[in-house]
Amino acid sequence: MVPMENYLVLSGIIFSLGVYGVLARRNAVLVLMSVELMLNAVSLNFVAFSAYRIPSSADATGIIFAVFVIAVAAAEVGLALAIVIRLFRNRSTANVDEAATMRW
Amino acid sequence: MTTEVLWWIFAVAIVAVSAGVVFARTVIHSAIFLILSLAGVGAMYLFLTIEFIALVQFLIYGGAVTVLILLALMLTRMGIAGRPEPTTGVQAPFGALVAAGLMATLIGVAVATAWPGNLGDTAVAVSIETIGEELFEDFGAPFMITAALLLVAFIGAIVIARQEDED
Repeated sequence: MVPMENYLVLSGIIFSLGVYGVLARRNAVLVLMSVELMLNAVSLNFVAFSAYRIPSSADATGIIFAVFVIAVAAAEVGLALAIVIRLFRNRSTANVDEAATMRW
Repeated sequence: MTTEVLWWIFAVAIVAVSAGVVFARTVIHSAIFLILSLAGVGAMYLFLTIEFIALVQFLIYGGAVTVLILLALMLTRMGIAGRPEPTTGVQAPFGALVAAGLMATLIGVAVATAWPGNLGDTAVAVSIETIGEELFEDFGAPFMITAALLLVAFIGAIVIARQEDED
């Protein structure tokens, strides 16, 4: 089996790619997809620590955290996509640079 | 040994498709790469022998979230006159700089840190009974709050995205 550090490095790479996507992408849906990448990297970290802990059978806290991360990510993606659709209907754009006035 | 080779194949594939999500030219390609990336992370949960989270990952992310994202992409396409939308802004080089610095830091910390001694060499299976007991006994209140959060968020989403009569 691979050591735990491999999972940490993998999730670090995915997280950094997500950060680049959030900073560089201009389409709101693409920004949201990059946020999903970052959330996934964090869940992978939680589950990796939980799985490699020694008295593992008595403790599933990291896994519970991953469950909560997934639930909150689902709520976030639903709400954010509703906002994007409303933005597109009002401004006919999904470009986050063109929606910088914070005014409807 | 076979598991290790398979792990490396999956890890390289996940990094490749995750890069595809942030570098792809068209939004639909990004969405398809995102599905592959989420499925790959689900496979990682299988390597960690946490089948419950892998199942949740495939169902929630691979199913529901990607369908939602594809639907939003369909509803917000600008594809009039075949003009390709700009996918990255002028700040992309600075974003790349920040991301590269963050990646170097994270990898350096993950490799260099001496993790506490109670970490094993292999992943240990956590039974689904343990997860269920912890989730509903020790984490009962957060579970309820999360349920309420999901309900409120989706009602809010319906209200925001609703077609108004005067439109």
